[in-house]
Amino acid sequence: MVAALALIAALAFRRPELAIIAAPFALVLAIGTRLARDPKVTVEFVLATDRTMEETDVEARLIVRAEGSVDRLELLLDLPPGVDVADGADAHIVRLGAGDEREIPITLRCTSWGVYALGDVEVRARDPFRLVVWEERLSGRHQLKTYPRPISLRRILAPVETQAFTGHEVARVKGDGVEYADIRDFVPGDRVRSINWRASARRQTLVVNERHPERNTDVVLFIDSFVDVHGDDRSTLEDAVRAGSALATRYLERRDRVGLVGFGGVLRWLQPGMGLTQRYRLIETMLETGVEPTYTWRDVSLIPARILPPKALVLGLTPLVDPRFIAALADLRARGFDVAVVEVDPVPLVETGRTELDDLAYRLWVLEREVLRARLIALGIGIARWGDLDLETALEEVRTFRRYARLARV
Amino acid sequence: MACLGALAAVPLARASEDVAGVGARVVGIAVVALVAALVLEWTALIPAALVLVGGLYAAQLAIDDAPLDTASPAFAAGLLVTAELAYWSLEERDHVQGEPGAGLRHAAFVAGLGVAALLVASVLLVLVDAVHTKGLTVDLLGAAAAAATMFAIVLVARGHGRTGH
Repeated sequence: MVAALALIAALAFRRPELAIIAAPFALVLAIGTRLARDPKVTVEFVLATDRTMEETDVEARLIVRAEGSVDRLELLLDLPPGVDVADGADAHIVRLGAGDEREIPITLRCTSWGVYALGDVEVRARDPFRLVVWEERLSGRHQLKTYPRPISLRRILAPVETQAFTGHEVARVKGDGVEYADIRDFVPGDRVRSINWRASARRQTLVVNERHPERNTDVVLFIDSFVDVHGDDRSTLEDAVRAGSALATRYLERRDRVGLVGFGGVLRWLQPGMGLTQRYRLIETMLETGVEPTYTWRDVSLIPARILPPKALVLGLTPLVDPRFIAALADLRARGFDVAVVEVDPVPLVETGRTELDDLAYRLWVLEREVLRARLIALGIGIARWGDLDLETALEEVRTFRRYARLARV
Repeated sequence: MACLGALAAVPLARASEDVAGVGARVVGIAVVALVAALVLEWTALIPAALVLVGGLYAAQLAIDDAPLDTASPAFAAGLLVTAELAYWSLEERDHVQGEPGAGLRHAAFVAGLGVAALLVASVLLVLVDAVHTKGLTVDLLGAAAAAATMFAIVLVARGHGRTGH
């Protein structure tokens, strides 16, 4: 533009100096556009691993090649929300000669759990005169599964009833085991080692010890994916999955069978199972959990019967916001399931509002939640409020409740 | 900004009183345009600032009917260097760490470009001076050469536009 205007002005004013001013600009334009060649840049994104934990560094590399020389090659790694560059920047500038290859190490860190698609790179190459720009978006889909960070749990909720297989939970029934239960009169067929000789001597008749067997239990994690209450740095769904992952790991360590139901816009389930494979299955299913908005009413009749085995402990992980999930909890309890709830407390995530009316609405909402909690407790559903406290302390509330509450058939 | 100021000082210093009064306002607008371009990252304002200062230079030459200006090669090189530095300044706004030595390399490139512009403009000035002394034939030859140069530039630019990005 400068060259063209200077040339026009040179003719108009009949001043050769203006043509002289135009000449360098025109020459730069001519030489720059003539020499500019598409450098044909290729970028390869390499991840050191495809599985990681929250807040753990993951090594990645960008391997850049160019057929032609590039004076300034700008690379921007397009990262999804939840993934950050731990060390350095997500943008890099390099200079490549013809046929050169450059490797750029990048350390990534996932700030929250999830399944991330990585490898999209924005490439912008410029010629030495900065006249021509080649832009391209290169997609190299790499999946990075980020597991929730572990939460330390020493004690968890014990189901009221146990299953038939050997496990770590002391059953209420009597049978072969370690834990002492009672004594009774000897009957033919009892093992000699079961005889309580001290009690037999006192009673002048043979008495045998009875014991509680150690059995396993069935636990179904019932995750509320109807709604997600977001704060600045946390969300209820993220916390629910984090708690679910920790609970699943702890129950599976005890040889319990753990299943999963993601109850929301999309119904996800996993049949109860044991072992390390089940642990990975559970966590990977939980990683896919997301809020899919729906206005249709959903109830527990949608859940296949085999997913909820009899005598299973159904452990709800919910912010207790959506009435459909609350109704499902009450329904399960009414069907005789042993139900407990870890309430991922959304109250700290909700601001009180600025006006007096907002403040009144907030207080009413908090009161409504108290009423709801009382209603669920009246149904025999223990509720652990998980907010500021750690999960283990929150679970202790339910354990205390279940110790004193009587199991009633409703 | 310093380069633009130095360039604007050339016509202002030589201008008659009337031209200097208007010229100062034009320089003010040019400075504001360049500041806006650099602060708000509006690249379109960079050529506008250069055109304003160049226009002031042209107006001063035309109005004051000055003889052939021997400082024009330096003015041309200065204008080119100002443009390069302004665009470079915008590039650096990306806050992206480049390779070590990239800044020095580019500074050398800009300096080289300035020197090359000075040489080309000086050669042209000598030719213009020769044209002024040789009469109408050389005048016509010069006009034809200028037209041919513009035609060549347009051809090159159009040819590249079809294949480039």
